[in-house]
Amino acid sequence: MKIKKANAGALTNFEVLDFLRSRGAAKDPTRVIAPIAASEFKVYDYLVESAACNQTRESINELLDKCKKYDLAKAEILNIINIRPASPVEIDPIIEESEKRMGEGIEDLIEMVTTVLPPPPTQMNTGEEVVAGDEEIADGEQTATAMATEN
Amino acid sequence: MFFLSLIEHTLRLPPHLLDLPLNEAIKGELESLFLDKVIANLGLCISVYDIRSIDGGFVFPGDGASTYTVEFRLVMFRPFVGEIITAKLKESDANGLQLSLGFFDDIYIPVHLMPNPCHCEPDPENKSQVIWIWDYQEQKFPIDGLDEIRFQVQSVSYPPIPVEQPKESKPFAPMMIMGSLDYDGLGPVSWW
Repeated sequence: MKIKKANAGALTNFEVLDFLRSRGAAKDPTRVIAPIAASEFKVYDYLVESAACNQTRESINELLDKCKKYDLAKAEILNIINIRPASPVEIDPIIEESEKRMGEGIEDLIEMVTTVLPPPPTQMNTGEEVVAGDEEIADGEQTATAMATEN
Repeated sequence: MFFLSLIEHTLRLPPHLLDLPLNEAIKGELESLFLDKVIANLGLCISVYDIRSIDGGFVFPGDGASTYTVEFRLVMFRPFVGEIITAKLKESDANGLQLSLGFFDDIYIPVHLMPNPCHCEPDPENKSQVIWIWDYQEQKFPIDGLDEIRFQVQSVSYPPIPVEQPKESKPFAPMMIMGSLDYDGLGPVSWW
């Protein structure tokens, strides 16, 4: 066996989940018929409970575009897509020296992440219903301002 | 967490697979060879992503099987140092914690990488396990097995295969991840 290229590209959790789904993985009892091995199902079960389960290709592309102005390292963007931080304290271990490099920008980054990427199921269940109302209003304002700047 | 790796391998296709279309037969062989196995310095193989090229098909003298040189890409699980991963608590003892991802269990948080200061208390329910508690500003935060724990990868090591193992020791772990909880935002999700 020869290793031609040890690192032929990093994959986000969403891409692996998408790949497994396209081969037929699912949560319901049809899994015995799908051509997926048991070990692959364990990976699928883990990913479906993480933040990757409701992401889409478009939302990730949008996030990549908007992250360009923050000058983040590739590993940091990968971490953000996989974890979907919802508060500054969650950003802290992801971005090195976040206060020095970004200062106020951290709040903008968090807001952008929470509006572009859908929240994972666990975050939605833990009493986020009260905040959801505010976020919906914020969504409306964000998209309105985005369209205004495009025009 | 996941990477693609390009591998070339010379594969022997057993004769009983000759009635299948070539792609499927080769994919099946590759899966039985690589899936759920650890390749040193590459990580744990999760899945065959695609097959780039199939070469050969020679039958060597004295052999009933045909040999192919296949180039393909594998999805490997190999977290990089500094990555943040959410996992579930599997065991907790005096040496530290052991976390599990469902498909990968050998994640260890040694004592010196736990949030500082903390102490452990014997678990009232389970005699062989202890509960780790973080003392922060006179408040106690226990690490119980209820919610997911976020940790940062410190190192990934591939211990060499031991020649002899004493009986009743832990089964050999070809890939071990050392993690740290000693930072803001790490630890059980409910703390933050």
